[in-house]
Amino acid sequence: MRISSHPILKFNRDKELSFIFDGRKLVGYEGETIAAALHANNIKVLGHSSVKHRPRGFYCAIGNCTSCNMIVNDEPNVRTCITLLEDGMVVKTQSNKGELK
Amino acid sequence: MKNNAKVVIIGGGISGVAIAYNLAKMGETDVIVLEKDHLASGATGRCGAGIRQQWGTKMNCLMAKKSIEFFETAKEELDYDGDLQFKQKGYLLVSSTKEEDKEFEQNVILQNKIGIPARKITKKEALKIVPHLNPDAFYGAAFCPTDGHLNPFTTTDAFYKAAKRMGITFYTQTEVLDIKTKNKKITEVITTNGSIKTETVVNAAGGHSYNIGQMVGLDLPVYSENHEILVTEAVEQMQGPMVISFSQNFYCQQTPHGSFIMGRGEPDKKPGLNVESTHLFLDRMSKTITKILPKIGELRLVRQWGGLYNISPDHQPIYGPVKEVKGFYLAIGFSGHGFMFAPVTGMIIAEMILKKPFSIDISGLTIDRFEKGNITIEGNVV
Repeated sequence: MRISSHPILKFNRDKELSFIFDGRKLVGYEGETIAAALHANNIKVLGHSSVKHRPRGFYCAIGNCTSCNMIVNDEPNVRTCITLLEDGMVVKTQSNKGELK
Repeated sequence: MKNNAKVVIIGGGISGVAIAYNLAKMGETDVIVLEKDHLASGATGRCGAGIRQQWGTKMNCLMAKKSIEFFETAKEELDYDGDLQFKQKGYLLVSSTKEEDKEFEQNVILQNKIGIPARKITKKEALKIVPHLNPDAFYGAAFCPTDGHLNPFTTTDAFYKAAKRMGITFYTQTEVLDIKTKNKKITEVITTNGSIKTETVVNAAGGHSYNIGQMVGLDLPVYSENHEILVTEAVEQMQGPMVISFSQNFYCQQTPHGSFIMGRGEPDKKPGLNVESTHLFLDRMSKTITKILPKIGELRLVRQWGGLYNISPDHQPIYGPVKEVKGFYLAIGFSGHGFMFAPVTGMIIAEMILKKPFSIDISGLTIDRFEKGNITIEGNVV
């Protein structure tokens, strides 16, 4: 969900962007991070841990913890909490340590 | 704290714990290991974690082969329930010039004679083994499939636990301050936590072995040097062997966990005991590695650190007693390779102390070789 009205803060939405998440077409806004756009679409599982395959989600939100690592446009280990969303991005959940191609 | 022991080992790195384990296995458990910090806090826990048999001197080849044979069954022999992270995917040595490639050929002949399954290979074959090598950045290669990797922390822990089960005493956070002698014989070791009466001391103090030697009046022919190293984030397995070059001065290996560990020797190092991390190393290391293994450049750096090489004049270890002080044994001067030689170090030093026949002939590795002057210098070091 997104907060659209707030008594103090104003949210000026920038341009609408569409992107693909695990084969689903979703919408986000210019200026938000990939992780923020996914959360707004109620997607909270961003990947799975590589050993025990437990769900992983938003955690540090400053690009340190690697909990939000995802495969973006075929590139693994992208820290989606600090990477801005772009139009047409293909985002996938990552369930291993990432394959360097 | 116990105040007497048959044998006191100074240094709780891989050499110290391996010597303790072998003494216990041969029946001598009246042994104390002293470590000034925690186990593996020195060079062992800071090393590149590689084990290789591709050496240029016969002695190093023999010791490495025997050590790898031990590592292959270490988990069972040490009855360890942890993970040694033993990986046997080889070492790929890359050459830069035709001349260096010729040297590899000579070394492979020596290694094969001893029974080490190394082989000289072409650039094309090397690229099959490590496809992300930059073909323009090397000339040829040599490969030994039974070389590999072990986790230095768990390996130390395995030796420690096995030795402790058999009755060896370990004191960590206990620094040796002095060693007392009388009539050229060891009598006592003075530590920060008390003193221990003993007639036998093993100097397995790694980077600090020169200083331990000074305590009994020796001017040991070793010095220490900081070698830096870094580790990247982890990715899925993509590089089997350690890639190493003596002329380009680097080594780089992917651990079973997926991270890449790499280091390089610096030509302008000053001897000393500092283990600082420098930005200069990061700069040089990243330039070196992206030239030979460009893909690694896409990985993020996680951490860097430094550790001490204890360097001997011929880059081979110095084992055994000294003539000046009775009961003082050396296991020093590994020149960056103490971790991989530890199984042999443990056997040899224990056999020397207990006057047993040697597992391998190490007559060329006692300290008197420098007096005699007939030394062979190991060139295959980074």
